[in-house]
Amino acid sequence: MIQTVAWITSLFFMLMVAAVFGVVALKSKERKDYEPIKKKWYKARTFYGISLVVLMLVLTIYTLRELPYNQPVYGQGKDPTIVDVEALQFGWNISQTSFKVGEPIEFDVTSADVNHGFGIYDEDMNLIAQTQAMPEYVNKVYITFDEPGTYEVLCLEYCGLAHHLMIATLEVTE
Amino acid sequence: MEMIRKKRSDNSLIATYLAIGATVVGVMMIFGILMLLAQGGVLELQPAAFYQFLTIHGTGMIGAAALAGAAVMWYFLRNYVDLSKKIFGLNLLFSLIGIVMVIIGVFSFEYASSWTFLYPLPALSANAWGTIGALLYLVGMLVLGVGFLLMYIDVGRAIIKKYGSLGKGLGWDVISGKKAEADAPPATVVASTMVTIVNVTALTAGATVLIMNIINVINPSFTFDPLLAKNLTYAFGHIFANSIIYMGVIAVYEILPRYTNRPWKANRIFLIAWTMSTSFTLVIYTHHMLMDSVMPKWMLIMGQILSYANGLPVLVITAYGALMIVYKSGIKWDMASGLIFISMFGWTVGVVPAIVDATIVVNHVMHNTKWVPGHFHMYMGLGAVVMIFGFMYFLSKEDSSLKTNLFDRIALICYTLSIIGVSGGFLVSGALSTPRRWATHFPDWMGPAVFGAVSGVLAAISVTIFVIHFIRYMMVRNKGNEGKVFHERKLA
Ligand code: HEM
Ligand SMILES: [Cu+2]
Ligand SMILES: [Cu+2]
Repeated sequence: MIQTVAWITSLFFMLMVAAVFGVVALKSKERKDYEPIKKKWYKARTFYGISLVVLMLVLTIYTLRELPYNQPVYGQGKDPTIVDVEALQFGWNISQTSFKVGEPIEFDVTSADVNHGFGIYDEDMNLIAQTQAMPEYVNKVYITFDEPGTYEVLCLEYCGLAHHLMIATLEVTE
Repeated sequence: MEMIRKKRSDNSLIATYLAIGATVVGVMMIFGILMLLAQGGVLELQPAAFYQFLTIHGTGMIGAAALAGAAVMWYFLRNYVDLSKKIFGLNLLFSLIGIVMVIIGVFSFEYASSWTFLYPLPALSANAWGTIGALLYLVGMLVLGVGFLLMYIDVGRAIIKKYGSLGKGLGWDVISGKKAEADAPPATVVASTMVTIVNVTALTAGATVLIMNIINVINPSFTFDPLLAKNLTYAFGHIFANSIIYMGVIAVYEILPRYTNRPWKANRIFLIAWTMSTSFTLVIYTHHMLMDSVMPKWMLIMGQILSYANGLPVLVITAYGALMIVYKSGIKWDMASGLIFISMFGWTVGVVPAIVDATIVVNHVMHNTKWVPGHFHMYMGLGAVVMIFGFMYFLSKEDSSLKTNLFDRIALICYTLSIIGVSGGFLVSGALSTPRRWATHFPDWMGPAVFGAVSGVLAAISVTIFVIHFIRYMMVRNKGNEGKVFHERKLA
């Protein structure tokens, strides 16, 4: 799950940052000349800077391979089910809410009034996909449900006092 | 002598800025705690009240921190360029008028669009608030923005007068090799130039979209392109919120060298880093729009790439520089130096979850979850605001004979741990897919909110102690110290 990967990655690097600051704080009471420190650590910085750039490049390339914006390549004769979604204060008009496992779906999402957010949650209440629901524009979400169950649509953009009550359900069967 | 006396008198305006800023931050924390208690199921709060609190907390925190950040910048920048005190005072006046209008709009007229006032929500509230509330808020924000805009124009003018152009304020002639590194503009000038450039842009975008909203509220038949409005809103919000830390960091550049007796000079790499920050800060607001697939795809991909790159100047230059200057320096730790060091830690750790969230595939499942407040409470609450607190202790030490006590030191530790608690609670919530800006939570999501609320109480108490110290300083300096001149002391 992406959230878990994101959380662990963040935690790891945050602890690294904490460790570095901790070590420097511990070593701060000692007093040494600045010039040699500068010389040594400028050299280290070049190495550190380059490693960081390389790491970021690798991550960028790796994470940009597959973007949620791209229409997936569908198998022959397997056109996606197009579902029209219209958000409004405060509810959802969804043209179809029952789906089959393995059925490729394209949600075409828009709004009748203000900005809303179209977020799809699985049965364990993990967010699995989202896009913005915007007046005058249509944003698309491509999804194929792998598991049967009741999925929920939650509003993910603040839209007024009943923002947290904008919930709809989607049924996915075998 | 004359010069020093003038500076001392300017200090009282600076101190007023800081006292207002820090007090508002403390008060806004109470609204933050109340929101978390409501989300945690501990407190029964009407949705209308919750969203009013959300609006006032977001607006108040950003406004107060920006005000205090401006005071930090002004305090140091006046040593290098000739700033207008009148305009600095005018900004405070405009801000106070703006703040009062915002408060009346939110609490008397139930206006609650959140601080991002995303078009067309101000006009289309489903009857939750009316035209008057919306106008009070939007015009209040406009007044606030105009005050800041005037101040940055004055800062820009002063820098251009002294250095020739804003490009030279960023040290471009040193980068290109026309001028020697030794003649580079000081770090404070470089940072102030950067902030001037980005915030004049941000405030122009903000004023434009505020006026669009105001017209739409007065006459709903005048409509605008919602995607354009969204771009302008996030350009304003992202840049303006981020600029706070770039003003705050001036305190780091100025204070750490004094405490360690080590110079922190702008060299070529430093200048390149700041030019990078300037341009990235201007364009990476698109990472707020990664879930708008109608945006040109190349813009969104650049949004990810440049957001990553925007981490480099901090991680490789500023944070690294702060660590190097402290390492084996024999630094004297006190409230000011301690807070300043912690603020660099806060900024740096806050970069991590921000970069993670700027990754499009991650953003797809974390955008608008509580992960987002998680990362910015870290770098605002543990970064920007702590720079300001650190500066407040620096100023009170520099400008009076007031001593700190045990309470201050306990507050420092308490504050650090509690903001880690608040932000950590948000991050865990985000990892659990909890949506942000939800007045109520499902039971599974309540735990981290309650934890955050308890941490928040400690943070608010700590800030109270910081503010009490600062108010005591202001009283001491107003009382018998008139005429007694404190020289710039070497602290190390
Ligand atoms: C005791 C410390 C704090 C607590 C308990 C707290 C709590 C909160 C809560 C509960 C939210 C709403 C989260 C949601 O979307 O569900 C929030 C949002 C926010 N907070 Fe804080 N906060 C604290 C400190 C700060 C500080 C120091 C700043 C900045 C200087 C800040 C700036 C913001 C901003 C800009 C928002 C976004 C408002 C919006 O979504 O419209 N907070 N905070
Ligand atoms: Cu909503
Ligand atoms: Cu941003």
